[in-house]
Amino acid sequence: MWYSGMQLLDTEVDFDSSVAQAVPGLADGHCQRCGQSALVQLPSGDYYCPHCINLGRVTSRTTLYRFPAPQLPSVEWPLTWKGQLTAQQTAVAAALVASLQAGRDHLLWAVTGAGKTEILFPAIATVLAAGGRVGVAAPRLDVVRELAPRLQVAFAHTAMAIRYGGAPWPQRTVALTVLTTHQLLRYHQAFDLLVIDENDAFPFAHDPALWHAVSAASRGPKLWLSATPPTRLRQAAQRGTMGLSILARRFHGHPLPVPRIRIQALHLPQRIAPQLIRQLQQILMTHQCLLFVPDIAWLAPLTQQLQTAITTAIAGVHAADAQRAEKVAAFRQGRLRLLVTTTILERGVTIPRCAVVVLGADSARFDAAALIQMAGRAGRSADSPDDPVWFYARHDTLALHQAIRTIRQLNAR
Amino acid sequence: MRCVLCRQLVQITWTLPVILGQRRLRVPQLCAACLRTFAPIVVATACPGCGRADSPTLCVDCQRWARQGALLHHRALFSYNAAMKAFIQQYKGLGDWRLHTAFQAQLVPPVSGVIVPLTSEPAHFIARGFDPVLGLFAHLSLHLWLQKTDTSTPQAQKNRAGRLATPQSFSVRSGVVFGRTRRVILVDDLYTTGRTLYHAAAALRMAGFRGEITSFSLIR
Repeated sequence: MWYSGMQLLDTEVDFDSSVAQAVPGLADGHCQRCGQSALVQLPSGDYYCPHCINLGRVTSRTTLYRFPAPQLPSVEWPLTWKGQLTAQQTAVAAALVASLQAGRDHLLWAVTGAGKTEILFPAIATVLAAGGRVGVAAPRLDVVRELAPRLQVAFAHTAMAIRYGGAPWPQRTVALTVLTTHQLLRYHQAFDLLVIDENDAFPFAHDPALWHAVSAASRGPKLWLSATPPTRLRQAAQRGTMGLSILARRFHGHPLPVPRIRIQALHLPQRIAPQLIRQLQQILMTHQCLLFVPDIAWLAPLTQQLQTAITTAIAGVHAADAQRAEKVAAFRQGRLRLLVTTTILERGVTIPRCAVVVLGADSARFDAAALIQMAGRAGRSADSPDDPVWFYARHDTLALHQAIRTIRQLNAR
Repeated sequence: MRCVLCRQLVQITWTLPVILGQRRLRVPQLCAACLRTFAPIVVATACPGCGRADSPTLCVDCQRWARQGALLHHRALFSYNAAMKAFIQQYKGLGDWRLHTAFQAQLVPPVSGVIVPLTSEPAHFIARGFDPVLGLFAHLSLHLWLQKTDTSTPQAQKNRAGRLATPQSFSVRSGVVFGRTRRVILVDDLYTTGRTLYHAAAALRMAGFRGEITSFSLIR
C-alpha cells in the first residue's frame, strides 16, 4: 500500500484505516507529528500546533493514523549502476555497509565536490535486497529533483516515489522514497535506512522539528551526508556512537582553495570602494566570479554599480527571481562573467574556473557552514583547482575563522 | 516584535509624540517587506459604491445594487492579489490563528459608528476553532448583533451567479436593542459580489434599524 509507514491526518485518510494505529494529534503538550511543544490556543479552547501547520493543521481534536510498514519480499541485488568507484570511494562505501550491518548511524563527511551519491549505492542496495525500505531526504526541493533521477537510473527495477510539498500522492507500494526533509514529518517508523543529505543546509539545521522527524521516521540506521557537519554530529562521531568516514579530497585530488580574509570598512552596498573594483577586474581577466551578498536589498545597487564600473556581462539573481534559471544558464555558458547572488547558489552549482568573493562575510546570516559551502563553489574543475576565494568583512567573526580552520584541517588530511 | 508572516524583526519608528505619550503606539505586526507585497486601494480613485480599485465613477455592479435600494458605500483596504490570496489561504484555509493580528494597524474604519462583524456559520466555527472576521477585527470594540445560520456551500466555492443567488442567512440576535445608534459599520474580511453584506444590511432593516448602514472590509 502506498501509505505504508506514513502518519496521516483524519482529513487525509479517505480509505480503510483499520490497520492503522490511531493516536491523538496532540498529547502531553507536544504535537505528535513534529514533536514541538509551542502550541497555540484557539478561541474555541482547543490547541493547535503552528510548527507543522503547512502540512495540514494538527489540533487537539485531530487523530493521527500511523500505518505500519511491513517488510517487503527480498529481491536480487537491485543495483543497476555500471560505473566504477575509485579506491577511496570503495573503502568509504564498505565502511557505510559495515555501520549499517552493525545497526549504527554513520556520518559521511565529504568535501564539496567529492562524489557522495555513488558511495551510497552499495549501502542502499544492501537494504533493498533484504526487503527493507529506504528513504533519501534532502532539505531543498532542487536537490531532491536532482537526486531522484540519478537514483532511479541506479536502481532501475526498484519502485520509487518522490515526495515534496504539492507532489501528488504516490499510487503504489515503494521500496525507495526520495523526499524533502519536511515530508519526513508524514512518516513514522517507516525506513530501515534513512539517508539525510546536506543536513547542514537551511532549513534543516535550524529546525528542531526536522531533527525530530528524522528519528521518528526511521526505524534503522541513519546515514548523514555533509560537507560541513553540525557540531552535534561531529561530537557523536568522535564519541564513537556513530560511524565516521571522511572524504577530504575532491575527485580531482587537489586541496580545497583556502579563502583569504580582507578586513576593510566598505560602505556597501551604496558605494563600492575602488580597491574592490580593481580586485574584481583582476579576477575577471582570468576567471568568472560569483559575488555573494548577505541581503537581497544589496543586489540591485551593487549590480548596477558594477555594470557601469566593469562590464555589462553582470547580473544579480535571488531565490524569487523570475529569470533565475536563465541567468544561471547564461553564467554557466560564460555569457555572464560575474553573478551577484544571495546564498541560493551556495550548493550544487559547479562552474569551471570560477572565483568566489563574499561581501559582508561578517554578516550574522553567514555561519561557518554557509561560508564553507560558498568557498566550495571555487576550484571544482581539474584544470583550475586553485581559484581565488575572498571574504570581505568589516570585522572578524568566529564563523570566518571556523570556516578557514575547517578547510585547512580537511586539506591537511 | 517579529513580523507575523515572515518572523523577521520589525522596526518600530519612535516619533516624539509617541515617546511623550501623546499618540498611542500602533505596534506594526507586519514588516515593511511583507506589507509591500499587498496592494492597497487608493480611496480617491475607488468606486464610491463598493470601494473597487480604479473605478472613480459608480461601477456597473453598484448601479445594479443602487436600483435595489440604498448603497453601502463600502470601503476596503487591499485588492485581492497573489500575496493576499496566500494570506487568506494560510489564515482561513489552513486555520493559522496566529495571523489574526496581521492587519491590526491598518484595519481602522474610516468613519465612526457601531461596528457589527459578519460572523461565520456555527459549522465553520467548529471546524476552524475560531471566527476569521472576529479575529481580524478583534482590536476594535465589536457589537455581535448578527447571527448566521448554516448554509449548504461556502461562498468561496461558488461562481458569481451562484454567489448572487445566495438566499438570506443572516438575522438579528434576539435581545439586541438599537437604541439611538445613528450609524452601523458592517465589517467583513472580503467583499466579492457584495451579496453577503447587502443581506446583512437587509437583516438589520428587517429588525427595524433606521439609521445609516455602511461597510468596511480588508479585501475588495
